[in-house]
Amino acid sequence: MPKITFIEDDGTEHTVEAGADASVMQAAMDNLVPGIVAECGGYANCATCHVYIDPAWADKLPAPEEAEDVMIEAAFDVRPTSRLSCQVQVTEDTDGLIVRLPASQTGA
Amino acid sequence: MTTNSTMDIPAHVPEDRVVDFDYLRPAGVDEDLHLAWKNAQDTLPDIFWTPRNGGHWVVTRADAIKAVQLDHKRFSHARLTIGGPAVREGSVVQMDPPRHGPYRMLVSPAFSPKTIAALEPIVRETTISIVEELRPKGECEFVADFAQILPVVVFLGTVDLPPEDRNYLLPLAEKIIRPRDPQEHQESYTALGEYVARALAARAEQPGSDLLSKIVTAKIGGEPIDFEAAVALSMIVMAGGLDTVASILGFVVRFLALNPGHRQQLIDDPSLVPNAVEELIRRHGLVNTARLITQDTEFQGMRLKEGEQILVPNHLYGLDERQVDNPLVVDFTRPHPEQHYAAFGNGPHRCPGSFLAKLELTVFLQEWLARIPDFVIKPGTTPRMASGSVNTVHELHLAWDTDPR
Repeated sequence: MPKITFIEDDGTEHTVEAGADASVMQAAMDNLVPGIVAECGGYANCATCHVYIDPAWADKLPAPEEAEDVMIEAAFDVRPTSRLSCQVQVTEDTDGLIVRLPASQTGA
Repeated sequence: MTTNSTMDIPAHVPEDRVVDFDYLRPAGVDEDLHLAWKNAQDTLPDIFWTPRNGGHWVVTRADAIKAVQLDHKRFSHARLTIGGPAVREGSVVQMDPPRHGPYRMLVSPAFSPKTIAALEPIVRETTISIVEELRPKGECEFVADFAQILPVVVFLGTVDLPPEDRNYLLPLAEKIIRPRDPQEHQESYTALGEYVARALAARAEQPGSDLLSKIVTAKIGGEPIDFEAAVALSMIVMAGGLDTVASILGFVVRFLALNPGHRQQLIDDPSLVPNAVEELIRRHGLVNTARLITQDTEFQGMRLKEGEQILVPNHLYGLDERQVDNPLVVDFTRPHPEQHYAAFGNGPHRCPGSFLAKLELTVFLQEWLARIPDFVIKPGTTPRMASGSVNTVHELHLAWDTDPR
Protein backbone atom coordinates (compact mmCIF):
# COMPACT_ATOMS: atom_id res chain seq x y z
CA MET A 1 0.00 0.00 0.00
CA PRO A 2 1.31 3.49 -0.83
CA LYS A 3 2.83 5.37 2.08
CA ILE A 4 2.16 9.04 2.84
CA THR A 5 4.02 11.14 5.39
CA PHE A 6 2.10 13.99 7.02
CA ILE A 7 4.18 16.60 8.83
CA GLU A 8 2.35 18.78 11.32
CA ASP A 9 3.13 22.45 11.71
CA ASP A 10 5.18 21.65 14.84
CA GLY A 11 7.23 19.09 12.93
CA THR A 12 5.53 15.94 14.20
CA GLU A 13 5.60 13.31 11.47
CA HIS A 14 2.98 10.67 10.77
CA THR A 15 3.70 8.05 8.12
CA VAL A 16 0.59 6.09 7.18
CA GLU A 17 -0.40 3.48 4.65
CA ALA A 18 -3.19 4.60 2.36
CA GLY A 19 -5.77 2.55 0.52
CA ALA A 20 -5.19 2.71 -3.22
CA ASP A 21 -8.61 4.29 -3.93
CA ALA A 22 -8.49 6.82 -1.12
CA SER A 23 -7.77 10.51 -1.24
CA VAL A 24 -4.89 11.94 0.78
CA MET A 25 -7.52 13.51 3.04
CA GLN A 26 -9.19 10.13 3.62
CA ALA A 27 -5.83 8.55 4.39
CA ALA A 28 -5.28 11.19 7.08
CA MET A 29 -8.76 10.73 8.55
CA ASP A 30 -8.54 6.92 8.50
CA ASN A 31 -5.26 7.07 10.42
CA LEU A 32 -6.34 9.78 12.87
CA VAL A 33 -3.69 12.23 11.68
CA PRO A 34 -4.44 15.51 13.47
CA GLY A 35 -4.63 18.83 11.67
CA ILE A 36 -7.18 18.05 8.97
CA VAL A 37 -10.84 18.93 9.56
CA ALA A 38 -12.44 17.89 6.24
CA GLU A 39 -15.72 19.52 7.20
CA CYS A 40 -17.41 18.84 3.84
CA GLY A 41 -16.34 15.21 3.61
CA GLY A 42 -14.34 15.41 0.41
CA TYR A 43 -16.12 17.62 -2.13
CA ALA A 44 -13.76 20.60 -2.39
CA ASN A 45 -16.43 22.66 -0.69
CA CYS A 46 -14.87 23.81 2.55
CA ALA A 47 -11.07 24.23 2.31
CA THR A 48 -10.43 22.53 5.67
CA CYS A 49 -8.24 19.70 4.35
CA HIS A 50 -5.63 22.16 3.13
CA VAL A 51 -2.07 20.78 2.84
CA TYR A 52 1.25 21.85 1.36
CA ILE A 53 2.69 19.32 -1.06
CA ASP A 54 6.42 18.74 -0.64
CA PRO A 55 8.18 20.68 -3.43
CA ALA A 56 9.77 17.49 -4.75
CA TRP A 57 6.26 16.12 -5.31
CA ALA A 58 4.39 19.20 -6.45
CA ASP A 59 4.94 18.64 -10.17
CA LYS A 60 4.33 14.90 -10.05
CA LEU A 61 0.65 15.16 -9.12
CA PRO A 62 -2.18 15.86 -11.58
CA ALA A 63 -3.05 19.58 -11.61
CA PRO A 64 -6.06 20.71 -9.55
CA GLU A 65 -9.42 21.09 -11.25
CA GLU A 66 -11.26 24.40 -11.23
CA ALA A 67 -13.43 23.63 -8.20
CA GLU A 68 -10.33 22.97 -6.12
CA ASP A 69 -8.53 26.05 -7.42
CA VAL A 70 -11.48 28.24 -6.50
CA MET A 71 -11.70 26.80 -3.01
CA ILE A 72 -7.97 26.87 -2.24
CA GLU A 73 -8.20 30.64 -2.38
CA ALA A 74 -10.56 30.42 0.58
CA ALA A 75 -8.05 28.54 2.77
CA PHE A 76 -5.73 30.15 5.33
CA ASP A 77 -2.07 30.87 4.56
CA VAL A 78 -2.15 29.74 0.94
CA ARG A 79 1.20 29.01 -0.73
CA PRO A 80 2.19 27.93 -4.24
CA THR A 81 2.21 24.26 -3.18
CA SER A 82 -1.21 24.41 -1.50
CA ARG A 83 -3.72 21.67 -2.35
CA LEU A 84 -6.98 20.41 -0.95
CA SER A 85 -6.03 16.91 0.12
CA CYS A 86 -9.50 15.54 -0.63
CA GLN A 87 -8.79 16.17 -4.29
CA VAL A 88 -5.39 14.46 -4.34
CA GLN A 89 -5.83 10.81 -5.19
CA VAL A 90 -3.58 8.13 -3.71
CA THR A 91 -2.07 5.84 -6.36
CA GLU A 92 0.91 3.50 -6.55
CA ASP A 93 2.77 6.46 -8.09
CA THR A 94 2.28 8.56 -4.95
CA ASP A 95 4.10 6.06 -2.71
CA GLY A 96 6.33 8.12 -0.43
CA LEU A 97 4.36 11.36 -0.84
CA ILE A 98 5.18 14.02 1.75
CA VAL A 99 2.63 16.68 2.71
CA ARG A 100 2.89 19.40 5.35
CA LEU A 101 -0.08 20.64 7.36
CA PRO A 102 -0.92 24.29 7.97
CA ALA A 103 -0.95 25.68 11.51
CA SER A 104 -4.76 25.79 11.40
CA GLN A 105 -7.53 24.83 8.99
CA THR A 106 -10.04 27.21 10.50
CA GLY A 107 -8.00 30.18 11.65
CA ALA A 108 -8.72 29.30 15.28
CA MET B 1 -48.04 20.92 3.93
CA THR B 2 -51.12 19.71 5.71
CA THR B 3 -52.61 17.99 2.71
CA ASN B 4 -52.94 14.83 4.73
CA SER B 5 -54.32 12.95 1.82
CA THR B 6 -54.43 9.26 2.24
CA MET B 7 -54.03 7.19 -0.85
CA ASP B 8 -54.02 3.59 -1.89
CA ILE B 9 -51.06 1.69 -0.55
CA PRO B 10 -48.79 0.75 -3.49
CA ALA B 11 -48.71 -3.01 -4.09
CA HIS B 12 -44.92 -3.28 -3.70
CA VAL B 13 -44.98 -1.96 -0.11
CA PRO B 14 -45.16 -4.79 2.47
CA GLU B 15 -48.10 -4.38 4.84
CA ASP B 16 -45.87 -4.29 7.92
CA ARG B 17 -43.97 -1.31 6.51
CA VAL B 18 -46.99 0.93 6.15
CA VAL B 19 -47.14 3.48 8.97
CA ASP B 20 -49.49 6.42 9.38
CA PHE B 21 -46.76 9.00 10.01
CA ASP B 22 -47.09 12.73 9.33
CA TYR B 23 -43.63 14.28 9.33
CA LEU B 24 -45.16 17.69 9.89
CA ARG B 25 -46.84 16.52 13.08
CA PRO B 26 -45.04 13.53 14.64
CA ALA B 27 -46.78 12.39 17.84
CA GLY B 28 -45.60 14.43 20.83
CA VAL B 29 -44.07 17.29 18.81
CA ASP B 30 -45.74 19.94 20.96
CA GLU B 31 -44.00 18.73 24.13
CA ASP B 32 -40.52 18.07 22.72
CA LEU B 33 -39.82 17.98 19.01
CA HIS B 34 -36.62 15.95 19.17
CA LEU B 35 -38.03 13.41 21.62
CA ALA B 36 -41.04 13.03 19.35
CA TRP B 37 -38.78 12.21 16.42
CA LYS B 38 -36.58 10.00 18.59
CA ASN B 39 -39.68 8.06 19.56
CA ALA B 40 -40.43 7.53 15.88
CA GLN B 41 -36.88 6.26 15.36
CA ASP B 42 -37.18 3.93 18.35
CA THR B 43 -40.62 2.49 17.62
CA LEU B 44 -41.08 2.52 13.84
CA PRO B 45 -39.32 0.31 11.28
CA ASP B 46 -35.91 1.48 9.99
CA ILE B 47 -37.58 2.08 6.64
CA PHE B 48 -41.31 2.46 6.11
CA TRP B 49 -43.92 3.97 3.82
CA THR B 50 -46.51 6.50 4.97
CA PRO B 51 -49.63 7.51 3.05
CA ARG B 52 -49.43 11.03 4.51
CA ASN B 53 -48.43 14.12 2.55
CA GLY B 54 -48.92 12.45 -0.79
CA GLY B 55 -47.32 9.14 0.21
CA HIS B 56 -43.58 8.62 0.66
CA TRP B 57 -40.85 6.45 2.15
CA VAL B 58 -39.06 7.34 5.40
CA VAL B 59 -35.68 6.15 6.68
CA THR B 60 -34.89 6.68 10.34
CA ARG B 61 -31.38 5.35 10.98
CA ALA B 62 -27.96 6.95 10.55
CA ASP B 63 -26.59 4.39 8.09
CA ALA B 64 -29.54 4.78 5.73
CA ILE B 65 -29.64 8.57 6.06
CA LYS B 66 -26.01 8.80 5.07
CA ALA B 67 -26.32 6.24 2.28
CA VAL B 68 -29.22 8.11 0.68
CA GLN B 69 -27.45 11.47 0.92
CA LEU B 70 -24.33 10.08 -0.76
CA ASP B 71 -26.12 8.21 -3.57
CA HIS B 72 -27.35 10.91 -5.91
CA LYS B 73 -27.73 8.48 -8.81
CA ARG B 74 -30.59 6.62 -7.15
CA PHE B 75 -31.71 9.40 -4.81
CA SER B 76 -31.90 12.66 -6.70
CA HIS B 77 -32.19 16.16 -5.33
CA ALA B 78 -34.64 16.99 -8.13
CA ARG B 79 -37.53 17.22 -5.69
CA LEU B 80 -36.25 18.22 -2.30
CA THR B 81 -39.30 18.47 -0.08
CA ILE B 82 -42.02 15.92 0.48
CA GLY B 83 -45.12 16.74 -1.51
CA GLY B 84 -43.53 20.04 -2.46
CA PRO B 85 -44.59 21.61 -5.73
CA ALA B 86 -42.32 21.73 -8.73
CA VAL B 87 -39.76 24.47 -8.28
CA ARG B 88 -37.64 26.58 -10.52
CA GLU B 89 -35.44 25.10 -13.16
CA GLY B 90 -31.85 25.93 -12.33
CA SER B 91 -32.18 25.66 -8.58
CA VAL B 92 -28.74 24.48 -7.52
CA VAL B 93 -29.96 22.58 -4.50
CA GLN B 94 -32.02 20.41 -6.84
CA MET B 95 -29.18 19.65 -9.22
CA ASP B 96 -27.23 16.44 -9.14
CA PRO B 97 -23.52 16.23 -9.90
CA PRO B 98 -21.85 17.12 -12.19
CA ARG B 99 -24.21 19.99 -13.15
CA HIS B 100 -24.24 21.12 -9.53
CA GLY B 101 -20.49 21.79 -9.28
CA PRO B 102 -20.04 25.06 -11.16
CA TYR B 103 -22.91 26.67 -9.24
CA ARG B 104 -21.70 25.38 -5.92
CA MET B 105 -18.26 26.86 -6.62
CA LEU B 106 -19.83 30.30 -6.61
CA VAL B 107 -21.22 29.90 -3.12
CA SER B 108 -18.72 27.80 -1.13
CA PRO B 109 -15.89 30.37 -0.96
CA ALA B 110 -18.28 32.99 0.43
CA PHE B 111 -18.76 30.82 3.53
CA SER B 112 -15.26 29.41 3.95
CA PRO B 113 -13.64 29.53 7.41
CA LYS B 114 -11.47 32.43 6.28
CA THR B 115 -14.38 34.50 5.01
CA ILE B 116 -16.40 33.69 8.11
CA ALA B 117 -13.55 34.50 10.51
CA ALA B 118 -13.62 38.03 9.10
CA LEU B 119 -17.28 38.29 10.14
CA GLU B 120 -16.59 37.53 13.80
CA PRO B 121 -16.36 41.17 14.93
CA ILE B 122 -19.74 42.06 13.45
CA VAL B 123 -21.33 38.88 14.84
CA ARG B 124 -19.95 39.69 18.30
CA GLU B 125 -20.87 43.35 18.18
CA THR B 126 -24.42 42.58 17.01
CA THR B 127 -24.86 39.87 19.65
CA ILE B 128 -23.66 42.09 22.48
CA SER B 129 -25.83 44.98 21.42
CA ILE B 130 -29.00 42.88 21.29
CA VAL B 131 -28.29 41.12 24.60
CA GLU B 132 -27.45 44.40 26.35
CA GLU B 133 -30.77 45.81 25.21
CA LEU B 134 -32.67 42.75 26.43
CA ARG B 135 -30.92 42.27 29.79
CA PRO B 136 -32.62 45.06 31.79
CA LYS B 137 -36.06 43.88 30.63
CA GLY B 138 -35.88 40.63 32.60
CA GLU B 139 -37.72 38.74 29.88
CA CYS B 140 -37.95 38.29 26.13
CA GLU B 141 -39.57 36.24 23.45
CA PHE B 142 -36.30 34.73 22.32
CA VAL B 143 -37.31 33.86 18.75
CA ALA B 144 -38.46 37.32 17.71
CA ASP B 145 -36.16 39.25 20.04
CA PHE B 146 -32.92 37.45 19.25
CA ALA B 147 -32.98 34.34 17.04
CA GLN B 148 -34.61 36.09 14.12
CA ILE B 149 -32.35 39.13 14.42
CA LEU B 150 -28.70 38.10 14.84
CA PRO B 151 -28.30 35.53 12.04
CA VAL B 152 -30.56 37.42 9.70
CA VAL B 153 -28.81 40.77 10.11
CA VAL B 154 -25.40 39.11 9.66
CA PHE B 155 -26.58 37.18 6.64
CA LEU B 156 -28.21 40.18 4.97
CA GLY B 157 -24.86 41.94 5.39
CA THR B 158 -23.07 39.22 3.42
CA VAL B 159 -25.48 39.68 0.54
CA ASP B 160 -25.55 43.47 1.02
CA LEU B 161 -29.30 43.74 1.55
CA PRO B 162 -30.78 46.26 4.00
CA PRO B 163 -31.26 44.79 7.51
CA GLU B 164 -34.80 46.15 7.72
CA ASP B 165 -35.79 43.88 4.81
CA ARG B 166 -35.89 41.04 7.32
CA ASN B 167 -39.40 42.17 8.22
CA TYR B 168 -40.47 41.32 4.68
CA LEU B 169 -38.23 38.29 4.16
CA LEU B 170 -38.73 36.31 7.38
CA PRO B 171 -42.48 35.74 6.95
CA LEU B 172 -41.81 34.65 3.37
CA ALA B 173 -39.14 32.18 4.48
CA GLU B 174 -41.52 30.80 7.13
CA LYS B 175 -44.25 30.19 4.55
CA ILE B 176 -41.83 28.58 2.11
CA ILE B 177 -40.19 26.26 4.61
CA ARG B 178 -43.19 25.37 6.78
CA PRO B 179 -46.24 26.21 4.64
CA ARG B 180 -49.77 25.57 5.83
CA ASP B 181 -50.79 24.54 2.32
CA PRO B 182 -49.24 24.23 -1.14
CA GLN B 183 -50.74 27.51 -2.29
CA GLU B 184 -49.07 29.45 0.52
CA HIS B 185 -45.77 27.83 -0.40
CA GLN B 186 -46.16 28.71 -4.07
CA GLU B 187 -47.19 32.33 -3.48
CA SER B 188 -44.35 32.97 -1.05
CA TYR B 189 -41.86 31.26 -3.31
CA THR B 190 -42.93 33.48 -6.19
CA ALA B 191 -42.71 36.60 -4.03
CA LEU B 192 -39.18 35.72 -2.83
CA GLY B 193 -38.21 35.05 -6.43
CA GLU B 194 -39.39 38.50 -7.46
CA TYR B 195 -37.54 40.14 -4.57
CA VAL B 196 -34.32 38.30 -5.43
CA ALA B 197 -34.69 39.06 -9.15
CA ARG B 198 -34.98 42.78 -8.39
CA ALA B 199 -31.86 42.67 -6.21
CA LEU B 200 -29.92 40.73 -8.83
CA ALA B 201 -30.98 43.02 -11.67
CA ALA B 202 -29.68 46.00 -9.69
CA ARG B 203 -26.34 44.24 -9.08
CA ALA B 204 -26.01 43.21 -12.71
CA GLU B 205 -26.06 46.95 -13.47
CA GLN B 206 -23.77 47.94 -10.62
CA PRO B 207 -21.93 44.93 -9.19
CA GLY B 208 -20.51 45.12 -5.67
CA SER B 209 -18.30 42.72 -3.75
CA ASP B 210 -21.20 40.83 -2.17
CA LEU B 211 -22.30 37.26 -2.91
CA LEU B 212 -25.35 38.23 -4.99
CA SER B 213 -23.18 40.38 -7.26
CA LYS B 214 -20.79 37.49 -7.65
CA ILE B 215 -23.61 35.14 -8.59
CA VAL B 216 -25.25 37.39 -11.14
CA THR B 217 -21.98 38.25 -12.87
CA ALA B 218 -20.65 34.66 -12.82
CA LYS B 219 -19.72 32.53 -15.79
CA ILE B 220 -20.88 28.91 -15.97
CA GLY B 221 -18.91 26.81 -18.43
CA GLY B 222 -17.49 30.00 -19.95
CA GLU B 223 -20.94 31.55 -20.58
CA PRO B 224 -22.62 34.24 -18.47
CA ILE B 225 -24.93 32.62 -15.93
CA ASP B 226 -28.55 32.35 -16.99
CA PHE B 227 -30.53 34.98 -15.07
CA GLU B 228 -33.18 32.51 -13.93
CA ALA B 229 -30.45 30.17 -12.67
CA ALA B 230 -28.89 33.09 -10.79
CA VAL B 231 -32.27 33.79 -9.18
CA ALA B 232 -32.77 30.16 -8.23
CA LEU B 233 -29.29 29.87 -6.72
CA SER B 234 -29.69 33.11 -4.80
CA MET B 235 -33.05 31.96 -3.44
CA ILE B 236 -31.45 28.85 -1.99
CA VAL B 237 -28.76 30.97 -0.37
CA MET B 238 -31.48 33.21 1.08
CA ALA B 239 -33.57 30.32 2.41
CA GLY B 240 -30.51 28.83 4.09
CA GLY B 241 -29.40 32.13 5.54
CA LEU B 242 -32.73 33.33 6.85
CA ASP B 243 -34.13 30.35 8.67
CA THR B 244 -31.64 27.78 9.84
CA VAL B 245 -29.49 29.47 12.46
CA ALA B 246 -32.59 31.15 13.84
CA SER B 247 -34.15 27.70 14.22
CA ILE B 248 -31.24 26.02 15.96
CA LEU B 249 -30.76 28.98 18.31
CA GLY B 250 -34.32 28.37 19.51
CA PHE B 251 -33.66 24.70 20.30
CA VAL B 252 -30.31 25.45 21.94
CA VAL B 253 -31.75 28.14 24.19
CA ARG B 254 -34.74 26.01 25.15
CA PHE B 255 -32.26 23.32 26.20
CA LEU B 256 -30.14 25.77 28.20
CA ALA B 257 -33.20 27.27 29.89
CA LEU B 258 -34.12 23.78 31.09
CA ASN B 259 -30.57 22.73 32.08
CA PRO B 260 -28.87 25.11 34.52
CA GLY B 261 -26.02 22.64 35.11
CA HIS B 262 -25.02 22.81 31.46
CA ARG B 263 -25.13 26.61 31.53
CA GLN B 264 -22.93 26.70 34.59
CA GLN B 265 -20.45 24.30 33.01
CA LEU B 266 -19.90 26.70 30.11
CA ILE B 267 -19.64 29.69 32.42
CA ASP B 268 -17.08 27.90 34.59
CA ASP B 269 -15.06 26.66 31.61
CA PRO B 270 -15.55 28.73 28.46
CA SER B 271 -12.98 26.59 26.64
CA LEU B 272 -15.75 23.99 26.36
CA VAL B 273 -17.81 26.26 24.12
CA PRO B 274 -16.58 25.07 20.68
CA ASN B 275 -17.18 21.42 21.54
CA ALA B 276 -20.47 22.36 23.17
CA VAL B 277 -21.57 23.93 19.89
CA GLU B 278 -20.88 20.66 18.06
CA GLU B 279 -22.69 18.65 20.73
CA LEU B 280 -25.71 20.96 20.76
CA ILE B 281 -25.93 20.70 16.96
CA ARG B 282 -25.73 16.91 17.18
CA ARG B 283 -28.53 16.76 19.71
CA HIS B 284 -30.77 19.37 18.05
CA GLY B 285 -30.58 18.77 14.30
CA LEU B 286 -33.04 20.53 12.08
CA VAL B 287 -33.43 19.22 8.62
CA ASN B 288 -35.96 16.95 6.91
CA THR B 289 -35.07 16.91 3.25
CA ALA B 290 -36.39 14.46 0.70
CA ARG B 291 -35.00 12.71 -2.34
CA LEU B 292 -36.67 11.66 -5.56
CA ILE B 293 -36.13 8.01 -6.41
CA THR B 294 -34.79 7.88 -9.96
CA GLN B 295 -35.13 4.19 -10.77
CA ASP B 296 -36.75 1.01 -9.54
CA THR B 297 -34.28 -0.23 -6.98
CA GLU B 298 -33.80 -2.20 -3.80
CA PHE B 299 -32.79 -0.42 -0.62
CA GLN B 300 -32.75 -1.73 2.95
CA GLY B 301 -34.69 -4.76 1.81
CA MET B 302 -37.50 -2.69 0.26
CA ARG B 303 -38.40 -2.31 -3.40
CA LEU B 304 -38.50 1.38 -4.23
CA LYS B 305 -40.08 2.64 -7.45
CA GLU B 306 -38.99 5.39 -9.79
CA GLY B 307 -40.84 8.61 -9.04
CA GLU B 308 -41.43 7.90 -5.36
CA GLN B 309 -40.06 10.17 -2.67
CA ILE B 310 -38.05 9.28 0.40
CA LEU B 311 -37.76 11.46 3.51
CA VAL B 312 -34.24 11.81 4.96
CA PRO B 313 -34.62 13.17 8.51
CA ASN B 314 -30.94 13.97 8.88
CA HIS B 315 -31.52 15.38 12.39
CA LEU B 316 -32.11 11.74 13.44
CA TYR B 317 -28.56 10.75 12.48
CA GLY B 318 -27.04 12.09 15.70
CA LEU B 319 -29.83 10.60 17.82
CA ASP B 320 -29.21 7.05 16.65
CA GLU B 321 -27.73 4.91 19.43
CA ARG B 322 -26.26 2.66 16.75
CA GLN B 323 -24.11 5.67 15.85
CA VAL B 324 -23.48 7.41 19.17
CA ASP B 325 -23.64 6.26 22.80
CA ASN B 326 -26.38 7.71 24.99
CA PRO B 327 -27.60 9.93 22.15
CA LEU B 328 -30.13 11.89 24.17
CA VAL B 329 -27.53 12.96 26.73
CA VAL B 330 -25.93 16.33 26.04
CA ASP B 331 -22.30 15.98 27.10
CA PHE B 332 -20.11 18.98 26.36
CA THR B 333 -17.01 16.82 26.85
CA ARG B 334 -18.13 14.13 24.39
CA PRO B 335 -15.17 13.44 22.07
CA HIS B 336 -15.78 14.54 18.48
CA PRO B 337 -19.54 15.05 18.49
CA GLU B 338 -19.19 16.36 14.92
CA GLN B 339 -18.53 12.81 13.76
CA HIS B 340 -21.94 11.82 15.00
CA TYR B 341 -24.24 14.13 13.15
CA ALA B 342 -25.42 14.81 9.64
CA ALA B 343 -27.05 18.09 10.58
CA PHE B 344 -25.38 19.82 7.65
CA GLY B 345 -25.90 16.87 5.33
CA ASN B 346 -23.38 14.54 3.75
CA GLY B 347 -22.12 14.66 0.21
CA PRO B 348 -21.87 17.32 -2.46
CA HIS B 349 -24.87 19.29 -1.20
CA ARG B 350 -23.53 19.61 2.32
CA CYS B 351 -24.56 22.93 3.81
CA PRO B 352 -22.00 25.58 2.81
CA GLY B 353 -23.00 27.77 5.76
CA SER B 354 -21.83 25.48 8.58
CA PHE B 355 -18.89 27.67 9.62
CA LEU B 356 -21.13 30.72 9.87
CA ALA B 357 -23.69 28.76 11.90
CA LYS B 358 -21.01 27.54 14.31
CA LEU B 359 -19.48 30.99 14.66
CA GLU B 360 -22.86 32.48 15.52
CA LEU B 361 -23.64 29.76 18.06
CA THR B 362 -20.18 30.12 19.64
CA VAL B 363 -20.42 33.88 19.98
CA PHE B 364 -23.99 33.60 21.21
CA LEU B 365 -23.04 31.21 24.02
CA GLN B 366 -20.08 33.34 25.05
CA GLU B 367 -21.83 36.69 25.10
CA TRP B 368 -25.30 35.69 26.27
CA LEU B 369 -24.09 33.56 29.18
CA ALA B 370 -21.68 36.32 30.23
CA ARG B 371 -24.61 38.71 30.56
CA ILE B 372 -27.65 36.55 31.30
CA PRO B 373 -26.23 33.46 33.00
CA ASP B 374 -29.48 32.36 34.65
CA PHE B 375 -32.75 32.19 32.80
CA VAL B 376 -35.85 30.03 32.67
CA ILE B 377 -38.76 29.41 30.37
CA LYS B 378 -41.16 32.12 31.49
CA PRO B 379 -43.62 30.58 33.97
CA GLY B 380 -47.05 30.06 32.43
CA THR B 381 -45.70 29.86 28.88
CA THR B 382 -44.98 26.86 26.72
CA PRO B 383 -42.44 26.96 23.89
CA ARG B 384 -44.02 26.34 20.50
CA MET B 385 -42.06 24.11 18.14
CA ALA B 386 -42.79 23.03 14.59
CA SER B 387 -41.66 20.15 12.43
CA GLY B 388 -41.12 20.80 8.75
CA SER B 389 -38.49 20.63 6.05
CA VAL B 390 -36.53 22.62 8.63
CA ASN B 391 -37.61 22.04 12.24
CA THR B 392 -37.95 25.21 14.23
CA VAL B 393 -39.02 26.97 17.42
CA HIS B 394 -41.79 29.48 16.79
CA GLU B 395 -42.10 30.96 20.26
CA LEU B 396 -39.92 30.76 23.35
CA HIS B 397 -40.60 33.13 26.25
CA LEU B 398 -37.70 33.49 28.69
CA ALA B 399 -37.45 35.22 32.06
CA TRP B 400 -34.52 36.15 34.29
CA ASP B 401 -33.73 38.16 37.40
CA THR B 402 -32.36 41.57 36.41
CA ASP B 403 -30.66 42.08 39.78
CA PRO B 404 -29.42 38.68 40.91
CA ARG B 405 -27.09 40.00 43.67
